[in-house]
Amino acid sequence: MENTLNKLLSPILLVVGLAQVVIALVMDIAGSKSEIRGAMLVLGIVLFFIGLYLVPTQKHHRKIVYVIFLFPLLFTFAVTVIIPLVLGICYSFTDWTGIKFSNVVGLSNYTTMFKDPAFIWSILITFIFVALNMILINLIGFLLALLCTSGLKGGGFFRASYFLPNLIGGIVLGYIWQFVFNNVAIKMTNNISWLVQSKTALMAIVVVYIWQYGGYIMLIYITGLTQIPGDVLEAARIDGANPVQTLFKVKIPMIASTFTICTFLTLTNAFKQFDVNMALTNGAGSVPDFMGNYLSNGTQMLALNIYNTAISKNNYALGQAKAVFFFIILAIVSLIQVRVSNKKEVEL
Amino acid sequence: MKKRVFAIILAAAMTASLTACGGAAAPAADAAAPAETPEGGIRLVNNKVEVDEGLKKLAKAYEEKTGVPVVIESLGGGIDTQATLKGYYQADNMPDIFVFEGDLQYPTWEGLLADLSDEPWVSDTEAEYVADGKVWGFPTTTEAIGLAYNADILAKAGVDPKSITGPESMKKAFETIDSKKEELGLTAVLGYYTESSQLWWSPGQHIFGTYFDSGLKRDDTTYIDLFKDGGKLDMERAKPWSEMVALFNQYTDPAGVSGTYDAQVLGFASGKYAFVTQGSWIGATIVNDDKDAYEAAGSFEIGMIPYAFIEGQDTILTNSPNWWGVYKDGNVEEAKKFLAWCAADDGGQEILAKDCGFISPYASNTHSPDDPFAKTIAEYTAAGKTSSWHWLSMKEGIGQNATGVVFQDFAMGNFPDAATFLDTLQKVCENYYAN
Repeated sequence: MENTLNKLLSPILLVVGLAQVVIALVMDIAGSKSEIRGAMLVLGIVLFFIGLYLVPTQKHHRKIVYVIFLFPLLFTFAVTVIIPLVLGICYSFTDWTGIKFSNVVGLSNYTTMFKDPAFIWSILITFIFVALNMILINLIGFLLALLCTSGLKGGGFFRASYFLPNLIGGIVLGYIWQFVFNNVAIKMTNNISWLVQSKTALMAIVVVYIWQYGGYIMLIYITGLTQIPGDVLEAARIDGANPVQTLFKVKIPMIASTFTICTFLTLTNAFKQFDVNMALTNGAGSVPDFMGNYLSNGTQMLALNIYNTAISKNNYALGQAKAVFFFIILAIVSLIQVRVSNKKEVEL
Repeated sequence: MKKRVFAIILAAAMTASLTACGGAAAPAADAAAPAETPEGGIRLVNNKVEVDEGLKKLAKAYEEKTGVPVVIESLGGGIDTQATLKGYYQADNMPDIFVFEGDLQYPTWEGLLADLSDEPWVSDTEAEYVADGKVWGFPTTTEAIGLAYNADILAKAGVDPKSITGPESMKKAFETIDSKKEELGLTAVLGYYTESSQLWWSPGQHIFGTYFDSGLKRDDTTYIDLFKDGGKLDMERAKPWSEMVALFNQYTDPAGVSGTYDAQVLGFASGKYAFVTQGSWIGATIVNDDKDAYEAAGSFEIGMIPYAFIEGQDTILTNSPNWWGVYKDGNVEEAKKFLAWCAADDGGQEILAKDCGFISPYASNTHSPDDPFAKTIAEYTAAGKTSSWHWLSMKEGIGQNATGVVFQDFAMGNFPDAATFLDTLQKVCENYYAN
C-alpha cells in the first residue's frame, strides 16, 4: 500500500516541483516583478526533494539521502563560489563595463595586460614582497615565539601585545602608519617621508605588514613549541645538549609541520595583500625607468592593480582578466605548497 | 513510518531554510542600501556625504509641499559611488535620480538615462550636461578652480592680486611675499601639495586641468581634443604651464610632498600660506572644520586669481562637478518634477544654498551660501571670465594612476628642470592612452 502510494506520489511531486522551479526562474529572467516567484521557487525545490526522497527504490535510497543532505552546502558553494568564478572567467573574454557587454573580444584583454609595463611591474614587486614577507614574518614570528615561551617574566603580557596589531583592520592600520611615517618618522629621515619614494615605500609596507601579521604567526609557533613533549627536552638536557643544539636538533624538527603551515599562510596572505597597500600608499610611487617607461604605480601590488583597473580606470573586463590570471597564480602556488608540505609530513 | 515522516519533515525544513537564503538574495541586495524607493515617490543617490543633511531637509520640504516622498541616500566616505551604482543596477535596485560625473561616466549609463531636454530649467542654466545634442544631467552646484589667496596677507605685503596677470607678475608677487615671509608669519608663500596617494586629484587633475582651459572660452576644446588623441600635449602652451609648476615648487611648503588635504587647507585657513592651490570647495572646510584656526587668523578675506601661465589669461575654471541623471526605468515623471522644483522654487533654492552650500548654476536664483568663495565666483561669472573643466573628459583614472605621481616627483626635485618634467608627463600620458 505504502509503496504504491509512493510510486504515484513521487513522480507527481518531482514534476510539479521541477515545473515550479523552472517557471519561477523563467519569470525572473523575463523580468517579471510578481511577488510569488520567490515563494514558488522555494516551494518547488521543497516539493522536488520530497518527491526525490519518496522515489521507490531500495538500491539508491541511501545516495538520494546523501544528496538531499549535501544540497544545502553544494547550493551555497555554487552560488557564492562556482557561479561567480565561471561568470568572471566568461566576462574576461568580453568588453564588460560592469553594466553590460556588447562584444566578445576573445583573448585581447589577456594580451593587453601583458603589454602593460605597469602590470608587469606589479607582478614583479608582488613576488618580491611575498618572498621578503615569507622569510621575515616567519623569522620574526618564530623568534618572538621563542622569546615568549622561554619563561620570561610577563610572557603572557608580551604574547598579547604582539598579537594586538592583528586585531586592528588593515585599512585603519594603514592610515595610522601613514600618519606615523608622514609626521613622526619623517623627523628621523631628513624630512623626507618614507612613503614618497617607491623603494622606501615598499619597505614601509613590508614593515607595517610584519607588524600586523608577525604576532599572529607567533601564536601558531607558540602552540607548536608548547606541544613538544617535555620528556624529549629533558632527555636532550640530560644528554648535555646546549640551548642552541636543543633548538636546531630537537625543537625545530619537532615543529616542522608548524613551519609548513606558517609558510603557507604567509605566502598566500602576502600575495593577496590589499588593504595595507591601499591605505598606506594607494599604489602611488614613481619608477623612473622600467622597460623604457616611467611608471606612476611604484608600490602597487597585484590585488590593488586589479582593483584600480576595474574601479578607478573603469575597465571591468580588463580587471576581470587580471583577476583570472591572479587566481591561476594563487592556485598554482597553493597546490605546490600543499604537495610539498604533504611530502614533508610523511617523511617525519 | 513515523520515523520516515519525521525525516521528510526534517529534510524539508532544511531545504526550506536553505532555499530561504537563496530566495532572500534579492531583498538582501536592497538591505545593502539603507534606502528603499517609497511607493509613488523617488529615491536620490548623492555622492557628497557632507550635504546629506541639507538634501534631507530639501526632501522634507518637497514632501510637505507636494506629498511626494523623496528618499536621499548618500554614498561616500571612501565608497566608489559609480561602482556601488553598478551593483544597484545588477541587483535591479536603481534609484530614480543618481549622480554621475560627466563625460567619463556618461558612456556607462548611456541608454539608461531619461532625456531632460524639454525641462524648464534647461533654459535657466548653462551648466547642464549635454551629449549627442540632448540634455541628460541636472547641474547642482558650481565649483571653481583658481589660485586662492589670503587677501589680508597680500595687502600687508603690498601685493595687489589684480596685478597678477601673467607669469612675470606672479613671480614678482611670490618674490615680494617670500622676502617678507617672517614678518607676515608665513610658513611658505604657497601651499602647493603634491602627495600622491590621497591627494593625486589636486595636481594630477586640477593643476593639470588649467593647461587645458586657462584663459580660453568655455566651449574651446582645442587642447583637450589634442589630448584625447593619444595623450598629446601642445608644447607651445604646455611649456609656460610647466614653468608655472616649477615656480610653485620653488615657493611651496616642502611638507606638501607628503602632506594631507586637511593639513593643506588648515595651513591656509590659519594664515600660514598666502596662496593655496585648491579651489572653491575648501570654503566649506574653512568655515566649518577649520573654524577656530580661521577665526584665530582673523577671518581674513579670501579671493581667487586665475592660474595665468601666459600673460593675459584672466579666467578661472568653473563647472558643475557632477550632475544628477534620471534613470529611465524609474519614476521619471516625479523625478522630473522634483528637479524642476529644485531649480525654480525659491524655498528649494534657499535650502540648496544655505544648507548644502551649493553655488547655484541657475540664473534666476537669488540665494548664495555663506561661503568665502561665493562672491568671487559670482564676480567672475558676471564678468564672463570663466572657463570650463575640460579635464573632466581625460581618460578615466589618469590622475590617480598616471599624472599625480609625476607632479610629486617634480616637487621632490627628482627632475632637473621643467623641460624634463614636461617630457616625462607627456610620455606618461601617451602611455596611459596607449594601454
